[in-house]
Amino acid sequence: MREEILCEITSLSREPLRIKGFRFGTPNSKPSCVIVGPLTGTAIDQLWVASRLVRFLRQQELENPAFIKGEILVVPAVNPYSFNMGKSFWPMDNTDIDAMFPGYDKGESTQRIAAKLFEKINHFEYAVVLEARKDRAECIPYVKVLKTGYEDVNEAQAFGLDFIHYKEPTPSDTVSLNYNWQIWNAKSFSIISGKKGTLRKIESTKVFDALIRFLSKKGMIDYAAFEGAVGNVITSEDMEVVKSNAAGLFDALAPIGEHVVHGQPLARIYNALDGSLLQTIIAPCEGIVSCKYDYPLIFQNAVAFRIIKLEK
Amino acid sequence: MIEEVFSVKLPVEETLKLKRNRFNPPDITKSTKRISIVTGTHGDELEGQYVCYLLIKWLRENPKKIKGIVDIYPSMNPMGIDSISRNFPFYDVDLNRSFPGHTADFLPAQVANAIVETVKGSDFAIDIHASNIFLKELPQIRISRSNAHDLVPLAEKLGIDFIWVHDAVTVLESTFSHALNSIGTKTLVVEMGVGMRITKEYGENLAKGILNFMAYAGIIDEPMHPCKTSVSTQNSSVHFINASDAGIFIPTLEHNVMVKKGEKLGEIIDPLEGVIKESLLSPCDGLLFTIREYPVVYEGSLLARILENPCEVNE
Ligand SMILES: [Zn+2]
Repeated sequence: MREEILCEITSLSREPLRIKGFRFGTPNSKPSCVIVGPLTGTAIDQLWVASRLVRFLRQQELENPAFIKGEILVVPAVNPYSFNMGKSFWPMDNTDIDAMFPGYDKGESTQRIAAKLFEKINHFEYAVVLEARKDRAECIPYVKVLKTGYEDVNEAQAFGLDFIHYKEPTPSDTVSLNYNWQIWNAKSFSIISGKKGTLRKIESTKVFDALIRFLSKKGMIDYAAFEGAVGNVITSEDMEVVKSNAAGLFDALAPIGEHVVHGQPLARIYNALDGSLLQTIIAPCEGIVSCKYDYPLIFQNAVAFRIIKLEK
Repeated sequence: MIEEVFSVKLPVEETLKLKRNRFNPPDITKSTKRISIVTGTHGDELEGQYVCYLLIKWLRENPKKIKGIVDIYPSMNPMGIDSISRNFPFYDVDLNRSFPGHTADFLPAQVANAIVETVKGSDFAIDIHASNIFLKELPQIRISRSNAHDLVPLAEKLGIDFIWVHDAVTVLESTFSHALNSIGTKTLVVEMGVGMRITKEYGENLAKGILNFMAYAGIIDEPMHPCKTSVSTQNSSVHFINASDAGIFIPTLEHNVMVKKGEKLGEIIDPLEGVIKESLLSPCDGLLFTIREYPVVYEGSLLARILENPCEVNE
């Protein structure tokens, strides 16, 4: 393992921001896979997964120097400043580094960070970024593949996760790391999981296992991983969005990953002052709860659940 | 008439409401023109508040001169305005990166969708921003190159200092102005002043400019004032000056002045070491139209923008 600083930017009053990379495999071998941890400072699950991956690869490589085929680069955290302050985005101007790719080396601070980082990570065959959901939600681990014309959605099945969201890019997706990797010829994937600001060890373990399985199946590590799921490819048409009608205290009854049937109660919403029951949210279809609103206070019309529909 | 255009209940005893003030003539026909003035999408930008006040004051005092529909929306992000929050609070999302929005998406996107649905059908819209808390801006209208042909002639009627035609970035497709322009409402974006402040002179000039625009468009019955000439970037270029080191930025010049190539714009100092880390010099002759207001900088922080060899827009 070789540790290096991929990007450094100075500060007036703090230590410089340093983005560290951990490189595995024989120097100058084929760049096979880059795995980038969280770009936002509240994605703790993703930081946990990335740091455990570094530990795992280091231990395996120490035992067996031929363990890695090609070269694997892991970047566990892109935004240490925000992690250390409990913030999601760049501390000064609240900009999202994952909205700055491919970056601009003469632009503003986060554009420069994106540019410096991208230059170091855009020549791998496979590229994976670990993401938390951007909204207030908790979700089952899934793979996101953006429809750019360069993607290969079937490759995502090697992660062995249950679902692959095959997604039409929005304007904001076009400035994400995942999208720009793909445009620059990497086979790129996002793995989305968990809930911001917490550590969910069970879901994180699934993500960790998925990464190991992927590296193993693609022949990038010499390791026998368990088989995973087939990987159901789903699009937005397969998703049912369930919104709240009322606002108040939100008591979720169905956890993420649950197989629910039509008519099943999913959550209750109570008046926040007098405790009266305002709404019981009912499943409108049969399917798997992929995503659940994660805060005990809820707005009217907020997205409370997303269900991957079973019936087509 | 004050109307509620969107409302959603909040968890504890409150309702989030978006409101507009509508003025219209007694009889409305198909040919009645409609304009929407929108501001407060970014909660830390307040320059538009004063403009709304001045316009509504004029409209209240001159009801007989109203020939079209004027909708004024001072506060598109009410919780943001009340809490000095640029983004939509609770979700921490930039509303002006959430357009056109969708009813099946999270709440900020639903708000964006509601704004589009309510402004839709207007002939014109003016979206007033106040830069941000970091930069002070000379009043300017920003137009993406693909819309320049249609929008520059309209922008000139506002009599604003200058018109910046820029090359669009894909992310700007998620803004209010892009969403409205793409459904046929000719939408102009105004940037002026600085976040968290009101610059009275800018507000007064813009309000006058908007009245002039409305007279031109037949929305109010008022003789048009001669337009102040605007400068345009159509045939000249904008230079960006970014910090190459972290520190405290001390400007040497006020903004809105003509500068010479090589002239000192400011310094980045280190208050601990007591040294100058960088001296910023102008890369060209031109108009200093943006200057950094917030002193703390990182490498990359924008310090100034200069419009090289400003050329006048034809009247
Ligand atoms: Zn703004």
